[in-house]
Amino acid sequence: MTENLFELKKVSKSFVKAKETISIFEGLDMTIKAGDFIAIMGPSGSGKTTLLNLLGGVDQPTSGEIHFDGKRIDNLSENGLAAWRAANVGFIFQFYNLMPMLSAAKNVELPLLLTGLGRSRRKASVEAALKLVGLDDRAGHLPKEMSGGQQQRVAIARAIVSDPKLMLCDEPTGDLDRATADEILKMLQLLNREFGKTIVMVTHDPEAAKYAKKTLHLDKGEFVKEELMA
Amino acid sequence: MSDLYLIFKNLTRRKLRLSLTLFAIFVAFLIFGVLSSFNKAFNSGIELSADDRMVVVNKINFTQPLPIAYVNKARAIEGIDVLTWCNWFGGYYQDPKNFVAAMACDAETLLDVYPEIVLPEDQKKAFMANRQGLIAGQSIAAKYGWKVGDRIPMNSNIFSQKTGGSAWDFDVEGIYTGSTEQFDTNSVYFHYKYFDESRSFGKDFAGWLILRTTDPALNDQVANTIDTMFANSFYETSTDSEKAFNKAFIAQIGNIAMIVTSVVGAAFFTILLIVGNTMVLAIRERTGEIAVMKTLGFPAARIFKLVLGESLLLSLIGGLLGIGAAWLIIGAMKAALAGILPTLVLTPDVALTALAIMVGLGFLTGIVPALSAHRLNIITAMSRQ
Amino acid sequence: MGSLISQINAVVAMNVKSLPQRAWMSAATVFAVAIVVAVLLAFLAMANGFQATVAGTGARDVAIAMRQGAQAEVNSVLMKEQVDLLSAGPGIAKNETGPIVSAELYVIVDGIKKASDTKANLPLRGLSEAGMKMRGDLKIIEGRMFQPGTNELIVGVGALKEFEGFELGRELTFARSRWTVVGVFSMDGKVAESELWADIGSVQSLFQRGNSFQTVRLKLDDPAALEQLKAYNEADPRLKLDIKSEADYFADQASGMSDLIMYLGWPLGIAMAFGALAGALNTMYTSVASRAREIATLRAIGFGGTAAFVGTLAESMVLALLGGLIGAIAAFLFFDGITASTLGGSFTQVVFSFKLSPALIWQAAVLALIIGFIGGVFPAWRAARLPVVVAFRAA
Repeated sequence: MTENLFELKKVSKSFVKAKETISIFEGLDMTIKAGDFIAIMGPSGSGKTTLLNLLGGVDQPTSGEIHFDGKRIDNLSENGLAAWRAANVGFIFQFYNLMPMLSAAKNVELPLLLTGLGRSRRKASVEAALKLVGLDDRAGHLPKEMSGGQQQRVAIARAIVSDPKLMLCDEPTGDLDRATADEILKMLQLLNREFGKTIVMVTHDPEAAKYAKKTLHLDKGEFVKEELMA
Repeated sequence: MSDLYLIFKNLTRRKLRLSLTLFAIFVAFLIFGVLSSFNKAFNSGIELSADDRMVVVNKINFTQPLPIAYVNKARAIEGIDVLTWCNWFGGYYQDPKNFVAAMACDAETLLDVYPEIVLPEDQKKAFMANRQGLIAGQSIAAKYGWKVGDRIPMNSNIFSQKTGGSAWDFDVEGIYTGSTEQFDTNSVYFHYKYFDESRSFGKDFAGWLILRTTDPALNDQVANTIDTMFANSFYETSTDSEKAFNKAFIAQIGNIAMIVTSVVGAAFFTILLIVGNTMVLAIRERTGEIAVMKTLGFPAARIFKLVLGESLLLSLIGGLLGIGAAWLIIGAMKAALAGILPTLVLTPDVALTALAIMVGLGFLTGIVPALSAHRLNIITAMSRQ
Repeated sequence: MGSLISQINAVVAMNVKSLPQRAWMSAATVFAVAIVVAVLLAFLAMANGFQATVAGTGARDVAIAMRQGAQAEVNSVLMKEQVDLLSAGPGIAKNETGPIVSAELYVIVDGIKKASDTKANLPLRGLSEAGMKMRGDLKIIEGRMFQPGTNELIVGVGALKEFEGFELGRELTFARSRWTVVGVFSMDGKVAESELWADIGSVQSLFQRGNSFQTVRLKLDDPAALEQLKAYNEADPRLKLDIKSEADYFADQASGMSDLIMYLGWPLGIAMAFGALAGALNTMYTSVASRAREIATLRAIGFGGTAAFVGTLAESMVLALLGGLIGAIAAFLFFDGITASTLGGSFTQVVFSFKLSPALIWQAAVLALIIGFIGGVFPAWRAARLPVVVAFRAA
């Protein structure tokens, strides 16, 4: 494993909106070490979500290069990126984004459909992931039968089931109360410490950011401050 | 879990909408199944006609008679294998409303010309031996409860006996079945000789001649020879293949095929609109979920397949239920309509056509939403959420 | 808040304004209803047209006599003696030459149907001057009447239109004899317009019928005189004919085919209506779902559930009625007045026109309204019971 999991080199990103070009990043450089847990904070419009999209390979830079684990990903095709995401990234969203018609277990199994794993191997992985998030007794429940915290735990299980190196979280506790949020954050911390997952988390909650190893403050497309946690 | 499971779960997530949409598809295929079977039954005479069988009728119209002397003259013509003749009896049983398709035919040759008439050997012998004998098709025999050995009276709405009255007595000597399910078993046949000797008028005339050629390639030649032979006589003939004759007869009723095609077309166009819209709507509602699937790494092609699979499954379930119901209905109607449409069945080729339409419908209704799901951009979809 | 009426107005206005968002869905419903109505009307117009042509043909004060059990003119055979005997019966109207009766022959000849280019059965009726006088609305619209004792014939407008080879001046060959079309006649849209007419004597000799006939028509003093004639007929063993008023005879002839069309048309129309209903329900449930927030917001600020109910129901009824209107117009444009021919009760072609009537259009409109009502009432019920909290929920 190389020391740096991500390397962003002179990354620029701009949008054309109503004939006006809006620049989000201009020549952004960034490195993320394997095994890190980074919180990204900043006011809305600072580029947090765009950065997460670029890291997650759902968006591509206007110019510059993004290297992951030593390989360039910014020039991959749409299908290439999809395959890369399936193999390397676990996503966690603010509103959980579970499939409403699928049970917890089936939701967790979803990313495994993109692997060549057989039925029994998939079943074992799903059970392990649900057990890790403490929901092995809820495998058959539909999302609407679960609380917000439980749904987010299912989403975490879905994100780790295919054992990706990287986890990207977009406001993972934005829809949860304090106590539940803390549970979720502890779980992320555990995944980072015990299982070596590299985690990048966008949040505007300073309490949430405390669980990360370091917090990056983003404003107008530039990193303005870096805090290391104890 | 497989893709099929995902498709099924997507399809069944809104039960009310699913049942309504399925019902609309069900109705369209029900209409298709029933009307196509009717159309088939109307046209079965054309389809089932033998290539080597020809019909000789009076040139003025097939209801006008031909002299019986034509039989021997025509028989001598080269290329004719076997020839029989019949006369329409205009039969009814007990009440004028109980119509019976009864024909007085030459018993010796009838079964050679119509090998589709399947009769046990002993019944065949008994029929030949008894000049008052009659053979009845399975379905008409069942309708009036006739059994072999019964003596039944049959009235004619055209002819009368020399001795007065319009009723003839017959012995049911045989009950025939068809060599195929579609063959008409709703007719009765009896001896021309018995009929001709006892009728009060029209003696020595036959309604029409039916023959088989030794080779269908000789059909035109045989027809020409017969028609030329009797040209400029008082009873000119018109000889046609059985197929052409039946086709003209069906066309007399009207353009049934066109009516069926228009109605079925209208029904399918309606569901195309309804189902197409429902699919577009269903996929639009799932924009966010599709974006999530794509984010998780599902390739666009796979999403496309999932959506198209859903519309195909929808169309197949509704369509198969509809065709199944049509099959049941046709089965139930067969007995009731045996008198008008004896050959009513839902044939495998109707079912196969329906299957092809189901696939076509599924494809047409799914292609637009599948394409938009394929093209869906994760970022715009997520920000719209 | 204001009265119920103004509440309903507000909801309806809101629905109408949001219609473009559901344009395709709504248009699909309108079209589905239109197609159902057009198909139903096509069948009803066909049945109605056939019925009008055949059943409208017979007169009440003309009796028609046939051999017992014959059922149709084509099957019957009557001897000259029977005709004479019956003519001497009671209740028959008379003029200076005696009782007004017409003994006729009805034979079938081939014509070529233009629509399919195949042979079809056409009736050739042999009749005398008395027979023509009996038919008051006979009009020669082209050429002239045939001369008795010649091989001349006249053709009905229906037969001329639907079949080939009967144009004025055309020569026809039946057996060895040549016939000439010398006139075209109309008869107020009745069945006879599908027939060919010629002199009775000429037809008798062509078809070697000697001095026999098939039917006899007898002009009655009045419709009630039919019973006297029937009694007379029953009393004489030489007669024992089937006697009916011409009106009854043609009503019987019409019933089979027009029943068939009706029994085909209504079930089809209803089945398709169920399909369209499914579409309408889908549309209206979608409409309610897409406006759930607006409806709930109105409820939150004090609108009653009735307004939401009526507003939704009105939308559905308007869509269905619009569909019904389009369907009826389409049916009128495409089907009304087109002519077709089919095999009638006498085993011969009957030419008839599709005929729409206000009564039929009303029936179809009722069907459209039923679709609109059922398609709207359940979603409307859902709209009326929508919980107010929906208004405060996140999108």
